[in-house]
Amino acid sequence: MIFNFLRDNFEPPHLALLREITLFSELTNGELRTLDSLLHQRNYVKDEIVFDEGEEGQAIYFILKGKVLICRQGRPVEGAIAELDEGQFFGELALLDDAPRMAQVRAADDCLLAVLFREDFLGLLQTHTLIASKISLQLARYIGQRLRRAVIKYVI
Amino acid sequence: MNATRTIPGPVTWCGIIVTTCLLLLLFQKILWLVVPFLLALILYYLLAPLAKWLIMAGFSNDFAAVSLSGAFLLLMTGCLLLLYPWTMTNADDWQEILQHYLASGSSVLENMLVGLQQKFTFLEKAHMADEMHWRMQDFSSHFTDKYLGAFLLWLAAWLPSLLLTPVITFFMLKDGVRLRKFVGSVVPNAYFEKTLYLMHAVNRTARTYFVGLMKLTLIDALTLALGLWALGISSPLLLGAITAVLSWIPYLGPLLGCAMVVMVTATDFPGNSTLIYGAIGLFLLVRALDDFVFMPYIVGRSLHLHPLLTVLMFFVGEAIAGIAGLMLVIPILGVVAVLGETLELILTDTRLGARHAHALKLRMLAANSDL
Repeated sequence: MIFNFLRDNFEPPHLALLREITLFSELTNGELRTLDSLLHQRNYVKDEIVFDEGEEGQAIYFILKGKVLICRQGRPVEGAIAELDEGQFFGELALLDDAPRMAQVRAADDCLLAVLFREDFLGLLQTHTLIASKISLQLARYIGQRLRRAVIKYVI
Repeated sequence: MNATRTIPGPVTWCGIIVTTCLLLLLFQKILWLVVPFLLALILYYLLAPLAKWLIMAGFSNDFAAVSLSGAFLLLMTGCLLLLYPWTMTNADDWQEILQHYLASGSSVLENMLVGLQQKFTFLEKAHMADEMHWRMQDFSSHFTDKYLGAFLLWLAAWLPSLLLTPVITFFMLKDGVRLRKFVGSVVPNAYFEKTLYLMHAVNRTARTYFVGLMKLTLIDALTLALGLWALGISSPLLLGAITAVLSWIPYLGPLLGCAMVVMVTATDFPGNSTLIYGAIGLFLLVRALDDFVFMPYIVGRSLHLHPLLTVLMFFVGEAIAGIAGLMLVIPILGVVAVLGETLELILTDTRLGARHAHALKLRMLAANSDL
């Protein structure tokens, strides 16, 4: 505890990976460490299913290493929707409610994912308001961008 | 995993009941560890909002854990240090008061039995009043040498394990999140989300139950104290508090509490049977309020157990582990029921099973790729 001040200068490798994620771009070192204590790290092998379409969402996933494929249920080739790379995230709507997942997600490569559960995020909203607000703001921006893109694509 | 909980099937319920009984059997053997753990769990749920408040104020989780457990330990030590000289000074008076109350209580009981014996001859033949008189006299005259010593020895044997309570609470506050992460890390990917959901659900159930129990105790104590104060009975708050705590022991606890209230009333107002009936009436009213109003609202909703099952499990708990079983059976059943329900959901989900098998196959292929 005495040497805590030294810890700020030493950053574990996975924290550098977390920093690459858009949602966490405004978090300080200390805030990122607090968040890290709530994140679960999971390894997936290529072609492993992360979650299915229609499954009730409980968590948001952040890609620390590798790629994932978002596709229609069971149709990874013809039903492919998007491929996400390191630093991106998916399943973000699970942070807001427990609605069913809108698509299937598969590991397009061997990958390392960080998982944040809704319950933990709700806890963060109570205990670390600043961290949760920064994440929420980034999430709102991201969803706003997607909405704008959808409006341009389908309405205008 | 749905917001609306599904009802477990009969096989799952059998498993839940058998597991509860086995756990009770095991817990009875390690009661010295289970009791401090349970107390620590209650303390953890009571301190968790304070810890959250400290973290919100900008302190670290470790600081919150250390300061809150430390403050509780200091409070406990301070209370014990103050209690010792106070007990030594008042021990003689208390013994006299206790004997006085016991004598009044036994005289009320004897009068009641004599009255019954005059009405029913078969009771007179059984000499119930005489038997009761001798037993009460034996208890009050041999209280110090027969019962007090044994009670103090029992208390001394329990003290070291009770001191574990703040230590366990400290680690629960400090490493709760880490423990959840650790457990989550050993679960296969396919079952990961549902397992974490299960852990949150168990935590929520246990918190609602234990915090609800504490709220119930406070409401019971205040309601009883208010009623006893209105009847003019001495030390209403103390009596209310003791009776409310005794109610943690289902069936037996309320009976003991009622007997205590009657004893005090009979001593404070000798011969005033109206007031004794008034105290019993008050006690029954509070019990009815507790069982039909407060309990379903505060505790019952957290466990979603059928009332008949609850009553049957009380008897099963008592048969397996005595008074400890009576007290432990419902929280254990509640937690095991949530675990059982969710395990049923996970294990009967063929899609999750298939995904897990697929992941194992992929991992095996990846490991064999260069062989």
